[in-house]
Amino acid sequence: MLDVQAVRKYFNSTVAVESVSFSVSRGEIFGLLGPNGAGKTTTIRMILKILEADSGTVTYDGKPFSEETRNIVGYLPEERGLYKKSKLLDTILYLAELRGMSRTAARREALRWLERMGLAGQDQRRTEELSKGNQQKVQFICSIIHDPVLVVLDEPFSGLDPVNQILLKDVLQELKQRDKAVIFSTHQMDQAERLSDTLCLINKGKVVLGGTVRDVKKRYGKNSLHLEFDGDGAFMTELPGVHRAMLYERSAELELSGATQLRDILALVNHRVDLRKVELLEPSLHSIFMSTVGEPVDTQTAGEVLS
Amino acid sequence: MSKVIAVARWEYLEKVKSKAFLIGLFLTPLIMIAMGVLPTLFATQEDTESRVIGIIDPGGRVVAPFAQRMQQRYTLKNGRPNYIVLPLVVGPGGDVEAAVQEASRRVAADELEGFFVLDPVRDSVVEFRSKSVGDFRIGARIEENLKEIRAEQRVAALGLDPKVLRELDVRLDVRMVKVASGGEREDGGFEKVFFSAYVFMMMLFLLIITSGQMLVRSVIEEKSNRIVEVLVSSCSPTQLMAGKVLGLSALGLTQMAFWGLIGVAASVQFGMNIIDISNALLLVLYFILGYLLYAAVFIGVGSPLNTEQEAQQVTSYLVMLLIVPIVLAIPAMKEPNATWIKVLTFFPLLTPTMMALRIPIQMPALWEILATVGLLLLSIYLAMVAAGRIFRIGILVTGKSPRLGEILRWIKTG
Repeated sequence: MLDVQAVRKYFNSTVAVESVSFSVSRGEIFGLLGPNGAGKTTTIRMILKILEADSGTVTYDGKPFSEETRNIVGYLPEERGLYKKSKLLDTILYLAELRGMSRTAARREALRWLERMGLAGQDQRRTEELSKGNQQKVQFICSIIHDPVLVVLDEPFSGLDPVNQILLKDVLQELKQRDKAVIFSTHQMDQAERLSDTLCLINKGKVVLGGTVRDVKKRYGKNSLHLEFDGDGAFMTELPGVHRAMLYERSAELELSGATQLRDILALVNHRVDLRKVELLEPSLHSIFMSTVGEPVDTQTAGEVLS
Repeated sequence: MSKVIAVARWEYLEKVKSKAFLIGLFLTPLIMIAMGVLPTLFATQEDTESRVIGIIDPGGRVVAPFAQRMQQRYTLKNGRPNYIVLPLVVGPGGDVEAAVQEASRRVAADELEGFFVLDPVRDSVVEFRSKSVGDFRIGARIEENLKEIRAEQRVAALGLDPKVLRELDVRLDVRMVKVASGGEREDGGFEKVFFSAYVFMMMLFLLIITSGQMLVRSVIEEKSNRIVEVLVSSCSPTQLMAGKVLGLSALGLTQMAFWGLIGVAASVQFGMNIIDISNALLLVLYFILGYLLYAAVFIGVGSPLNTEQEAQQVTSYLVMLLIVPIVLAIPAMKEPNATWIKVLTFFPLLTPTMMALRIPIQMPALWEILATVGLLLLSIYLAMVAAGRIFRIGILVTGKSPRLGEILRWIKTG
């Protein structure tokens, strides 16, 4: 559906996005991750032609962005806002019309979505009379009312209470089942981990990690073995198949390299100390995020990860 | 195109429904009428109570005829005299000063409306002392009657018949009559021409200011609530801008049509033919062109801004530009053919208002009209292109507003 190739954006002389590439297909929820200022929003703006990329390409089903594309994308910007003095329904109708919808269809869909989002009967109210959370739901409606093929949501969960977060998650899952492509940006890793099929981690304007969530976790190569024991664990740093070991008083965290079999390691360890607890943990996206973003990332590695 | 219409429709309907527009729509003509009518209304308002005027006349020759004239000539609606003339006596020592002080006290105590002293020496100056010196009518009436009395007494002193005075009083009015383009005389003097020119200029001025501010405000609102990002991902910035200009132009025309109706109704009501149709059509043309040009200017200037305060500051500069023709109205009225007036007409930002001023006074030459319209069209085109370039970038700029040099670079690189 969407293919982003090496887009790059400079503002005067400061880099906003150095080089970002990824692709998103139909029926996929794509998480765009990264710390604040990483270039997520700029990337999104380039995808939606709000900003022109300095170089690189963005294609939709192989074709460049066109006037038709405008009608098949939906967008929820990060900073929220609507016309304060205008009525909900009028605002939704206007924005839907700008996406090429007819007014009759827009009206029908608007009322349906307002009901779905728990705002039934409020269509004649003014935006300013609504709570922030409800305003955000109205904006969300505006981004999907025209049944877009690609929905781009910038930090869609921030500012929503848990109940509404679940509501939103359900709608996104539904869009996925209906074969739509969904891109959402976030800096909450647990959110991304639970929701996205594919992800792309951006830092300082570059992609540092990308792929399916499963792959990323695997590829990051950090199958982490947590041990608690009695005895001297100093030997563990020397074990074959252990990439890195962190030793504590009576516990250790071993990073196993790719091919290492758990039972081989356990046999070696069990022989030397009395094990009390063994746990093999998959690294959370959060820890991947922290270690990737927390330390300087080599461009070359990032390139490898991507390829 | 349908998106342009959608934007235009939204801008139009949302603004038409806004309180600010409705207030402006009804209040502006009211204020204009009030400004035109109220002062004369107050000035010509009849007194409802008799006023007591004191007179200190050491010579004693004027009091009686003056009192008679004032009381006979001016009566209130209820038949009672408008003015009661009260002779103030001067003490036995001939001390005028003491009498003046006494009279002043009575004025202060509201016993007298005012008083005046006839000075036997300096007899060309009469001071009327009163609490309210703004009442021109009372002064004019005193002056008129005193003049007549004095003239009669002098004529009598020369041994002539007072009838001679009537013979001597030759009245002559010079009336200004406009020669229309066909050579025939056109009725309606200075006031009419001045009024219609001024009204048109003020209307254009007010429309440009109000809708220009609306335009800037709507852009700033969309920038601050970030809805502009949704808008420019839904349609191109050019479509968005075109829609805004179209919607606000429709708004301006609505406002103008409404005011025009009021104007026509008023002129029918008062039997006053403010302007003829051919002039009106030409004025409407200049009006629309001027409106579009200023719309482009407002967009170009307004879209990089981020706060209402900045917008107000910037629009106030534009207002100053628009005030120029209003200031020039009176000199232009006197010499509509002056070269400097013609030169100013060719400055596109001033063309519409200068033409609004010139057309009712004297129809400019055809070549001037064609040239200014052409120049306006060209500058609208250029201004729209430049505004579009600024708009495209400016609407996405938040935080600190860009400097002028930066904006110029946007225009150049396009």
